[in-house]
Amino acid sequence: MSTRENSYTEAEALNLLAQLERILDLDPLIDEVGFIHPSQFATLKEEIGDSLSLEDRVHESTSFWIRDHKLGISTQILIPVYKAAKHAFISALRQYKTPGNFSGKSQDDTLAIEVMIHSKALLLLSCDFATAWNSRKLIVSNKRLLPILMDELHLSALVLSYSPKSEQAWSHRRWVINMIARNCSTLQWIIERESELVEKIAERSKMNYRAWNHRCWLVSFMTREQVLDELKKSRNWSGLHVADNSCFHYRRRLMLRNLEGFCYTQDNNSSGYFVETYQIWKEELDWNESLIKQYVGREALWLHRRFLSMYLIKHMATHLLAVSCQSKPKASVDIDIDSLMDHELCLVHSCSTTIADANFEDFQAQAIHSAAYMLWLTKQIPEYQGIDIQEKLRAGVGDVTRMLKRSCPDRSSLWDYLVGYHSEP
Amino acid sequence: MGELAADKHVKYIISVEKKKDSFESVVMEHLRLNGAYWGLTTLDILGKLDAVDEEDVISWILKCQDESGGFAGNIGHDPHVLYTLSAVQVLALFDKVDILDADKVSNYIVGLQNEDGSFSGDIWGEVDTRFSYIAICCLSILQRLDKINVDKAVEYIVSCKNLDGGFGCTPGGESHSGQIFCCVGALAIAGALHHVDKDLLGWWLCERQVKSGGLNGRPEKLPDVGLLLLVGSFKLDHD
Repeated sequence: MSTRENSYTEAEALNLLAQLERILDLDPLIDEVGFIHPSQFATLKEEIGDSLSLEDRVHESTSFWIRDHKLGISTQILIPVYKAAKHAFISALRQYKTPGNFSGKSQDDTLAIEVMIHSKALLLLSCDFATAWNSRKLIVSNKRLLPILMDELHLSALVLSYSPKSEQAWSHRRWVINMIARNCSTLQWIIERESELVEKIAERSKMNYRAWNHRCWLVSFMTREQVLDELKKSRNWSGLHVADNSCFHYRRRLMLRNLEGFCYTQDNNSSGYFVETYQIWKEELDWNESLIKQYVGREALWLHRRFLSMYLIKHMATHLLAVSCQSKPKASVDIDIDSLMDHELCLVHSCSTTIADANFEDFQAQAIHSAAYMLWLTKQIPEYQGIDIQEKLRAGVGDVTRMLKRSCPDRSSLWDYLVGYHSEP
Repeated sequence: MGELAADKHVKYIISVEKKKDSFESVVMEHLRLNGAYWGLTTLDILGKLDAVDEEDVISWILKCQDESGGFAGNIGHDPHVLYTLSAVQVLALFDKVDILDADKVSNYIVGLQNEDGSFSGDIWGEVDTRFSYIAICCLSILQRLDKINVDKAVEYIVSCKNLDGGFGCTPGGESHSGQIFCCVGALAIAGALHHVDKDLLGWWLCERQVKSGGLNGRPEKLPDVGLLLLVGSFKLDHD
């Protein structure tokens, strides 16, 4: 196959590029691109025939396939088309950037269009070719019209359809959204769509760091209503992807954002805001517990619980104390934390002791994660919680450590270390 | 225990450098300078840096420099801090950093620091703590660290610290071993390691070790040799 790749003449390569660019122009709604081995073209052609004009059939029957807005490109032509696209792009960009090379606005537009056409073809073949993305930013920043910005979102979504981890594609989206944020009122709707796009991509590309990072980035643009809405909407998905640490991190980001919003609210509604926030936290804890019991030994669930418990104790309790110290005695705050810790100790105990069937790794993992959770939590309890709780925890931790060493002796030095440092004054 | 097949590694690196015609290599043209750094560092560690023509490499690198002072990943591409650091690092391997106009290169980087102390990767504004590390590391090699607002840079990195002691790429971003390496590295160079909660972060890093003995980059992910390097080097730093 490599000899065939090298045997395309420059003229043939240019012809292929022209075909690709015409296909992209004729169908602006293409939403998926794939590179297909030539042997698969025959099968595809059999299924549906060709939707392009007759004179093009000779080349396109083995080079491109297009149907229902899905574009297939033969792996055989990738290198020649890439080279032709790169050459055309660099040449167009050089002309566009050279001052005095044109006279008047219309020629400027023509050159800009050339750059946009060639960069699009180039990016479909080499999606992290940053210089091509940059040239589009350069041209688009001179226009700043919403339809043009939306086109950029469409192109990057197209790239992400086959390259969901493309750093440049995600980065380009953020640049576009920042442009939109400055100029348009449709931002909230765009943020919603972005969030949905990430979820769709995350379904196909598990724990995709760049995709989830993008979704976390969107949170800073969200209103409080959107934040709460996102928490609700993303719950089902999270419940079906309990090994995906990234999706739970996203939930933490949303919850923290909500909490931040509360800290800055000084108006009369603050106690209502607080109650709602507290409720959200409690519900998340209960839901997390049900998942922990249902899906045994999932690290991501336990890590989520660390965050939930810690924040409840550290931040909610502080506020409860501040707000209710006039109407309720301090003891009631301690009671709440007390019963929370009792509950957690119970949960950890039940998870650590159910190593009934040592053949299943999941049960062992559950024991380890629950014990690590308890050790970690004790590290976070601030001193003011009182001696009772500390002693209760220490007793609980002691039990847990013994169990851990029995069930997972090869990490015994780690357990010793973690227990050792957490009991330091 | 077997021996490291050093000669074979050298041969492999040289062959990759020459093989420019596969599709896989053409779609990495834009980051060739990064590839050069990884390949040449390996040769250096193996004591075989002389397997390449130093003058050839250096003259190619200099052609990658843009008028802004920054370096691109290859000739004719746009500059970015990623490649600027690689360029400086490769020159450092050959002990030829002094052929650079250090002020010019550092001005490029200084110009990318934002008001909140963060660094953009290039003029298009994308922010990431990796770029903070790159800026600090690069300026440190060029001995121009005083040209940036180091306190603000540190402040920004600290704002990316998470509840689990780890660091993400922006405030609120998920902890990731790669980002942690960059943040801790940057803080170390800036003399600000006291901001790291060593015990908490150490805990997180220990939990990256999976049953097979390898290390993953984030919870629930599979172990990865590259991450073994990052996580392992951090732990050595701290013990």
